[in-house]
Amino acid sequence: MATTTATLTLTSSDLASDALSLSATKTCYKAGTTIGLDQTTGLAKTYLTAVTNIDIFVPVPGATMDGKNGKVYIANLSTEDTEFVQISIGDKLIGRLYAQDFMWIPWNQEAQHLSDIELAPSVATGMWVEFMHIHEGMVYPTAADS
Amino acid sequence: MATINATLNLASSDLTSSPLSLSKTMTMNKAGSCNGLELTSGLVARKFTATTEVDLCKGGTQNYGIPTVASADGVSTNSANKIYIKNTGSSTTDYVTIGLGTATAADAIGGSHLNLGKLFGGDFLIMPAAFIATHGDITIQPSTAEETTVEYMLFFE
Repeated sequence: MATTTATLTLTSSDLASDALSLSATKTCYKAGTTIGLDQTTGLAKTYLTAVTNIDIFVPVPGATMDGKNGKVYIANLSTEDTEFVQISIGDKLIGRLYAQDFMWIPWNQEAQHLSDIELAPSVATGMWVEFMHIHEGMVYPTAADS
Repeated sequence: MATINATLNLASSDLTSSPLSLSKTMTMNKAGSCNGLELTSGLVARKFTATTEVDLCKGGTQNYGIPTVASADGVSTNSANKIYIKNTGSSTTDYVTIGLGTATAADAIGGSHLNLGKLFGGDFLIMPAAFIATHGDITIQPSTAEETTVEYMLFFE
């Protein structure tokens, strides 16, 4: 097994009169266990030059990993304040990641289409994004040459 | 305006043969601008003692303000809202399921109601919160009727 630790800190000295200083740390475990997540897609970095809505993580048709644990990280690496990527899961819009924004979520691979993680850039002039899935298992498509 | 920073660190020495040491910081700005988000729900702590699915956080009029509700098609989703959610428990078997939809019997988690994933004890998430009119409520369903405490904090414009 592997040990992967995620730590999130939220800070602000001027959001409210009481300074915000929040920190959360957690080891990423397989569902219902203390066994660490031991598989990953790796950290993908890609340059998108169309506004097409694309799948970045897709459960394989007919296969289900429903109930397995996994964590997804997505970041918009653009430095243009107005540029965003729109994130959806299936037909449900999660929201926008503007320049330098990131998200970290659990992801349940319930079924194809229903659980696909989708990303749509706001501009076709080129945007860098990166994403990674740390998980306990996924099903790969069967090879086919035609 | 306020300056709110969020930093995520991911670290592992043995997930792959090359150590993972990722650090990403975002300053939470309003949509399309370099001005910081300046409204928040505050850090909310809620206790749950049933396995009923309920709304955890949604757009529209709340006691802390009026987070933007986006149009159904997302075209007018002109917001950079962010939400942080944590299961403060320590159980490795009890969890809360986070969903996106509406917390009604006709729209239970599964089916058309998005089952985003599970937060076991100590697990957390941070993500955008568009609050789409038709399905944008962030819902929660504990796996146990034993007391479960969840914290959340919404940053919005």
